[in-house]
Amino acid sequence: MNNPPLRRVRRAGRVREANKSELPARQAGLDQMMDRSATASDGALDTLPKRLREQARTRGDGVFLREKDLGIWQPFTWAQAEKEARTLALGLAAHGFQRGDKVAIIGDNRPHLYFGVGAVQALGGVPVPMYQDSIADEMQYILDHAEVRFAIVEDQEQVDKILQIREQLPQIEMIIYHDPRGMRHYREPGLEWYEDVQTRGERFEADNPDYYTDEIAKGQGADLAIMLYTSGTTGKPKGVMLSYDNLIRTSLNGMAHDRLTDREEVLAYLPMAWVGDHLFSYAQAMCAGFTVNCPESGATVLADLREIGPTYFFAPPRIWENILTSVMVRIEDAAKIKQRLFHYFMKVAERVGVRLLDGEPVSFSDRMLYRLGEIFVYGPLKDNLGFSRIRVAYTAGEAIGPEIFSFYRALGVNIKQIYGMTEATALVCGQSDGQVDAESVGVPMPEVEVRIGDSGEVQFRGPGTFMGYFKNPEATAETKSNDGWISSGDAGYFDEGGQLRIIDRAKDVGKLNDGTMFAPKYIENKLKFSPFVLEAVAHGDGRDHVSVFINIDLDAVGNWAEKRGLAYTSYTDLAARPEVYDLIGGEIEQVNAAMAGDPKMAGAQVRRFLILHKELDPDDNELTRTRKVRRRFVADKYKELIDALYDGSSEVKIEAKVTFEDGREGTIKATLAIRDLEPVAALAKAS
Amino acid sequence: MADEAGKHIGEVLLSASNISLSFGAVHALTDVSADIREHEILAIIGPNGAGKTSLLNCINGVYHPQKGTITFEGEPRADLAPSEIARQGIARTFQNVALFKGMTTLDNIMTGRNTRLGGNFLKQALYWGSYQRDELEHRVLVEKIIDFLEIQAIRKVPVGRLPYGMQKRVELGRALAAEPRLLLLDEPMAGMNVEEKEDMSRFVLDVNDEFGTTIALIEHDMGVVMDISDRVIVLDYGRKIADGTPDEVRANQAVIDAYLGVSH
Amino acid sequence: MEFDPFLYIQALFDGLLAGIMYSLVALGFVLIFKASGVFNFAQGTMVLMAALTFVSLLEMGWNILLAGAVTIAALVLLALAIERVVLRPLVNQAPIILFMATIGLNFVIEGGTQMVWGSDPHSLELGDPYASFEIGPLFFNNNELYAAVVAALLVAGLAIFFQKTRIGRALRAVADDHQAALSVGIPLQTIWVVVWTVAGIVAFVAGVVWGGRLGVQFSLALLALKALPVLILGGFTSIPGAIVGGLIVGASEKIAELLAFDLFGVGGVENFFPYLLAMVFLMFRPEGLFGDKIIERV
Repeated sequence: MNNPPLRRVRRAGRVREANKSELPARQAGLDQMMDRSATASDGALDTLPKRLREQARTRGDGVFLREKDLGIWQPFTWAQAEKEARTLALGLAAHGFQRGDKVAIIGDNRPHLYFGVGAVQALGGVPVPMYQDSIADEMQYILDHAEVRFAIVEDQEQVDKILQIREQLPQIEMIIYHDPRGMRHYREPGLEWYEDVQTRGERFEADNPDYYTDEIAKGQGADLAIMLYTSGTTGKPKGVMLSYDNLIRTSLNGMAHDRLTDREEVLAYLPMAWVGDHLFSYAQAMCAGFTVNCPESGATVLADLREIGPTYFFAPPRIWENILTSVMVRIEDAAKIKQRLFHYFMKVAERVGVRLLDGEPVSFSDRMLYRLGEIFVYGPLKDNLGFSRIRVAYTAGEAIGPEIFSFYRALGVNIKQIYGMTEATALVCGQSDGQVDAESVGVPMPEVEVRIGDSGEVQFRGPGTFMGYFKNPEATAETKSNDGWISSGDAGYFDEGGQLRIIDRAKDVGKLNDGTMFAPKYIENKLKFSPFVLEAVAHGDGRDHVSVFINIDLDAVGNWAEKRGLAYTSYTDLAARPEVYDLIGGEIEQVNAAMAGDPKMAGAQVRRFLILHKELDPDDNELTRTRKVRRRFVADKYKELIDALYDGSSEVKIEAKVTFEDGREGTIKATLAIRDLEPVAALAKAS
Repeated sequence: MADEAGKHIGEVLLSASNISLSFGAVHALTDVSADIREHEILAIIGPNGAGKTSLLNCINGVYHPQKGTITFEGEPRADLAPSEIARQGIARTFQNVALFKGMTTLDNIMTGRNTRLGGNFLKQALYWGSYQRDELEHRVLVEKIIDFLEIQAIRKVPVGRLPYGMQKRVELGRALAAEPRLLLLDEPMAGMNVEEKEDMSRFVLDVNDEFGTTIALIEHDMGVVMDISDRVIVLDYGRKIADGTPDEVRANQAVIDAYLGVSH
Repeated sequence: MEFDPFLYIQALFDGLLAGIMYSLVALGFVLIFKASGVFNFAQGTMVLMAALTFVSLLEMGWNILLAGAVTIAALVLLALAIERVVLRPLVNQAPIILFMATIGLNFVIEGGTQMVWGSDPHSLELGDPYASFEIGPLFFNNNELYAAVVAALLVAGLAIFFQKTRIGRALRAVADDHQAALSVGIPLQTIWVVVWTVAGIVAFVAGVVWGGRLGVQFSLALLALKALPVLILGGFTSIPGAIVGGLIVGASEKIAELLAFDLFGVGGVENFFPYLLAMVFLMFRPEGLFGDKIIERV
């Protein structure tokens, strides 16, 4: 794996030059920022705790975090944040915290958990944020593997989860909880309320006034800053170790790429355990000094989004799609005149909006029409969604439906694709303004090199390249070469415009028996662009043809069924309806028709499908916590179903275990129908 | 995990002695005596038509028993209207959710503060400044309840649009807003699925634990009753046939007969 | 006849001014309907009673403020009596029963008023009825403008009262569910007295405003009929609905009158046009512009 022969390498310099020639005025400010990055590597501000202190010093009254509590947005200034982190850190120190200690951070995006991250990092410790909806088993593995000594958690729910597995985790000494509700009668040793720890910290500070400053000064850019466990589509989670250099330089490069300033408003709603949250809602805030907002609860995110109106926003395709669906549902319920207005101006937007956003010339009359649309449709709509102030929005992680992508861009929401992974500190490629499309993921970020390996695999190297996997040198060696190149595991290529395109996971790309290329994710993504398809799993490697499992989208199909007076009792019931099979069959045929037009893909059309009796679920290990299909696991678990897809039978019986939210298990029995589809003639175009 | 020893059950808070209630020839309650002690969770169970809701209705003044007395906080109580009893610190929820369907969750819970208003309505209308300060304080308390019941997401939603389980939760919130000494819950878990029942049980326990509120509830799900109550009384045909800890009641022959439908 | 755009603009303004006054009458209905779910048939008679009491006291040489205060006191007494004699015994009865009761109430108030003040028409003069001013080609009557301002203030005050105050919230709660309202400690009786008093005061303002225009006489009670299309347009439960409904009815009947005359040379359209409009609304939007949408859940 060392030094694979290069096919194409893109260097970052080119991109930065392009920016410079486009926007000389903004470049000046940008250069200053890059200068700051230079000083950072000189040692002045080379860790996040140093940056937090610097922000508290230079913009103490500026707002770092906001949290909606009791219905009101409560601000925390940089100075307050620094104080919170400091007292917590010193409280930890009073409890015997050592440099290098690992601290689990578990809960929703809460300011006090971010302060916890700051406190741990200040003492040279390593925060290990974890998915708050993990069940106890998953949690146990990570707590154990990461050798966690302290845990800072949000509330009773998380405390209970840890206590449940505590016997197997002798190295855990303390659990610090922030919300005292329901905790009054707990008598377990090592439980302490967050604010009590801080009080202890204040006393400690009185005795050791320089301790905090000294500890921060000991930190260096190359130090381990955070460990993020990737759920990985196979095997046990791996602890990705990122350094301050990784985080800070990637932050600055990202800021330069999209000209971020201290005036950005961000909504921190994706799990803290995810690298993007740590980068976009924490590290970049530390570097740029912008404001991060924490929603009231998971259920209020959309309402909070509307109230905050972020300027810099990240969402995976799933969320962009959900929002679009909710808009469409509301439009369908609206008065006829509103519907007509909406559809008329959306047509205008599709024709004009994207070109305006990309700075292309647009005729005067179109420009005026778009203005009018802004007043009647786009403006109110964006306002309602909380998108009226967005300057930069990202989507990543999965392919996004082209029509979803262009919907937002037509409205004037500057949504762009980025490409990255935890091992790259989240950012490898990103689309530049004016060069945005739904198919590609952009050009390499500043200072990042990207090349395509022999097998077609995307490889990269840059300032965000991770230190290694914690206690797993074999896996590190497999992923990272001696000279720093990372194998992404994604198959991709550069298009004519120099933009990277991702096809699939490299290891998942296979061949049908007749030699046709089989890229399951490519097919699945095309299927998932249908509003009725929630999830799809394609099979075909080493087989005669392609067949798929489908998960229907309960909301969309349920709505569709209601309109037709089709009564159903549950997901399982709805999924088994012949009418629903007809509906999904039609959707698949459209995808087949599209694939027929592409000579490379025409042979890989879907010939058989079935609709699964249950939704694939992370709790059943079928999806990762980031909701990616665990292909191998699913193939194993549903082997009888796959067999049935290839033995010509028209139905198959299944009995499956499911895990409920509370951890109990049960079984579902069902008979699933299998449908055949006629492939669309590949030569339709030629004739 | 929680240390139950921390719980302290106190003096008798409300006592019904020998109350009888009849509608014409129908005897809803016959000579029922029962105590509700401070800080306890008391479950009232019994077959359908046993008089459970009638007993609750007597306690909060919807009905006035023809015989017997009800003593609250040591004072024998005259026949007061429900709104007056509410002001004494007894709040309740209903078997069939009785919320203000056209109003938002927030407004519904705010109405629960009515019993906590000093003076009369007109006076408040006149003193605008102090009224607003007052209103803000009430709002803070109501927001704490919203937070407690985890219903932030439906704060501004008219309750008529909420699913049943959520409405029950809002109704609990409205009762809590009165900061009651005694909380009466009429089948708080009726019509809920397992998960919703667990949530509701948790809230009932938390209310009892966090605020020390005394709770009397009617419930059909025996699993829930046995799990969360400190004491159970059993009614059958309008008479009390048992009164004791969940275990005692479970072992009581009269109770078993009543539930198995042995004729008297 | 030649088409004159200013005529239409003048008609529009006249209509809007009249519309605000329709709103006033409709408001009384909305208040009581919102708080007790009762369509108060006696609202029109309450307008008459208030106006007649006021004007008779004035004619007896009373000071205007004193007369107003006594009228309001009479209305409070009326509200107390209605709550005690009509509403309390009928608590938890079907709305139709309560509606029938208000029909009876209508005759009692009407008869009582005649008994005390007689049935002669009175004229009510507040300031010079002909004082007016012009803006360009448009012509405004001072009294009508004052009336509109008073009405607008009253409407704004009521909207705040209902939406922003605790009593308002309690009123809405009572309207929604009596039993639940009792259980949270809202005293039903007090609320009803408050509502009927407020409705009485609204009727008083309406009576004075309309009495100044038409004279205080028995046809004032018929104003209730003009309020019907306003209610259907605006929705029975919405204060803003009553206002917008009133404005639409006022403006559209004047314009329709003018238009019908210009186009077909016929007159008298304004007398039935509002009902025509209401009928169209009943067909397409039975809950009115702002009324609570009737949602039937399955």
